[in-house]
Amino acid sequence: MWRGEAIDRRGFLKAAGIAFTAALSPRSLMALERTDAVYASGFRAPDGSFGVATVSERGEIIDRVALPARAHGMAYSTATGRTVAFARRPGTFAMVFDPSRQAEPVMITSPEGRHFYGHGHFSPDGRFLYASENDFDGNRGMIGVYDARDRFRRIGEFDAHGIGTHDMTVSDDGKLLVIANGGIETHPDFGRTKLNVDRMEPSLVLLDAKTGALIQRHRLPASLKQLSTRHLDITENGRIWFACQWEGARNALPPLAGWFSKGEDLSFVPLPEETTLRLGNYIGAIAVNRRDGVVGLTSPVGGAAVTLDAKTGAVVKEETVREAAGVAPAAHGIAVSSYDGQFNETRSKVAWDQHIVRLG
Amino acid sequence: MRKILFAGLVSLLPATAFAQEGEPAPSVDLPMADVTKVMTAAVDGFIRPGYDAFYESAGKMTTAMKALCEVPSKANYDAAKGAFRDGAVSWAHIEVVRVGPVIEQNRFERILFYPDRKSTGLKQVQSVLSKVDETATDPATLGTKSVAMQGFGALEYVLAGTGSDELLKAKNSYRCRYGAAIAGNIANVAKELSDIWDAPDGIQKAWEQPGPDNLNFRTGGEAITALLGILVHGAEAVRDQRIETFYKGADKAKFPKQALFWRSENTWPTIKGNLEGLSTLLEKSGMVELLKEKDRPIVAATQAQLKSMIELSAKITPDLEKAVGNAAERKKLDTLLADGKDVIAKLNDGYGGAIGLSSGFSFADGD
Repeated sequence: MWRGEAIDRRGFLKAAGIAFTAALSPRSLMALERTDAVYASGFRAPDGSFGVATVSERGEIIDRVALPARAHGMAYSTATGRTVAFARRPGTFAMVFDPSRQAEPVMITSPEGRHFYGHGHFSPDGRFLYASENDFDGNRGMIGVYDARDRFRRIGEFDAHGIGTHDMTVSDDGKLLVIANGGIETHPDFGRTKLNVDRMEPSLVLLDAKTGALIQRHRLPASLKQLSTRHLDITENGRIWFACQWEGARNALPPLAGWFSKGEDLSFVPLPEETTLRLGNYIGAIAVNRRDGVVGLTSPVGGAAVTLDAKTGAVVKEETVREAAGVAPAAHGIAVSSYDGQFNETRSKVAWDQHIVRLG
Repeated sequence: MRKILFAGLVSLLPATAFAQEGEPAPSVDLPMADVTKVMTAAVDGFIRPGYDAFYESAGKMTTAMKALCEVPSKANYDAAKGAFRDGAVSWAHIEVVRVGPVIEQNRFERILFYPDRKSTGLKQVQSVLSKVDETATDPATLGTKSVAMQGFGALEYVLAGTGSDELLKAKNSYRCRYGAAIAGNIANVAKELSDIWDAPDGIQKAWEQPGPDNLNFRTGGEAITALLGILVHGAEAVRDQRIETFYKGADKAKFPKQALFWRSENTWPTIKGNLEGLSTLLEKSGMVELLKEKDRPIVAATQAQLKSMIELSAKITPDLEKAVGNAAERKKLDTLLADGKDVIAKLNDGYGGAIGLSSGFSFADGD
């Protein structure tokens, strides 16, 4: 099973209802009827416009929702069906939509002095949406807290205890917020320029989801100060997998992925040298397939998708995927997309963005 | 030599056999000889001469400031302001390179602290001028102070801000010696950059010869993507940081006093300098040679648009209040913004797509 209260395609269809399926084109309906899983991912269309698409397991586009600008990460609530596309940093919007189109979309705008970092996650009951944000004048990462029962009103924020906060997720019991602070300072006045590559401060943090209290923080050793800890996923037994991007010397062979659990130190996976080289010292996305016990990694830099054993970290599979973008748990194995329009076995006339979320 | 990094807390796992499909597939795959030729031309024809010229002009700026302090005459004041303008324009040419040594050790911010929406620099400069702090009159000690008070923004205020008439009132005034120290500090940073890029076995070599043992670029594709990144980010900076900071459109709020160098009326000369820097890099590097014949017109089209922007930027009134307040002037600003967007698209999608980045440069920069 994949993460949380899994619903499959039948569950998605049931939730979507007759009105949704009646509105689909015959081709999209066929794609939906024969898929075991439904995904969502941001994309750029050939005309330069941006949106989010729901996608079948084969990679066929089922439906599209327009976005005002480019999205990055996604969040999905198995409890409510609500899905969120977060603006790419330093964007200031997050679009909450219902893939079955039974509820009107809600546009969240980040408050003054904050922008979204591109990732977020729902609490298990769907009540709260957590978003990684930048307090750019204070140069500190924050976690914005939004009330899903009140049109996603912002009801508070927690200090992420780091800078360059990127991906974040929530433990299955909803008690922990898991945060990847990439350690890279940016400011919207300087676009996407990395302002402190020679003074980075990456860290991985656990917060109490109710109070925001710091439970655990792992800073990286001096030799790995330029290893940006950026993306996360969690296995069934609570092991937190993290994936990194190296900003240091290009001829170094840094560890690019690892894991930890509450109360434990970090463990890095000693990937084979050829795998590290193949990933180009850069992992763009990570996803755990709980049913198969594997972890998927992609690198647009190296043009590679790598599957690891979630228990041992051993490499199970390496594939060449030109401009590899997102990963998500498939019915079996890992679904992979690319910037050049490939999504599993289908090529579409869109550029898929960096992340995929599985809906059902 | 490749360096294997250990965290000291690595789990030792057995290396097992695994399925491996296909060869590595970098997005940009170009013949190494062609890449080396282009990177060498970019470094030797633009980057190194750019930093050398900047160092030279910063030296002249320092000399002019010292002359003004020694003999506070109208002629020396005008000469100092002229040297400031030349120095700022020289910096504008090479400023487009926002990678490498210039973004390490706060060098960029020490040269130019901008944007500065909260006027941090202004407050600090006013504060240091309101009291006599002799440590601010020595480039060496000034260089250890806040970056906001040691670069071009600070020197502009000394020369053109409130109280600048003091420069003509007394020999070796505190204000003037602070200004000379700023110029000296900028020259010190410029020398560092010039020396780093001129060292034959340093970054110069790394940029010109990508390879497995290279500190910066493992492949030619990585090197060319980084070179394209200079152009894309440089064009974005002109539009987003230099123009949109004070003007985003006729129906939007306008902030002429947020513009860089509005006091000294050097906003447009430096924007022109940025655009000329982009055009020169595109030309001198010979990046067009990396494209297939059918794709080469994208470079000529980019150059034509840059030329048009350079010409237009020289025709806009230096008075920023008038530039945003007058309909005819605003039309020129609107044209610059629209053309800037086109230049970014041509480099991003046009050139980027032509070298193999199917969705363009910016889309492929991960995150």
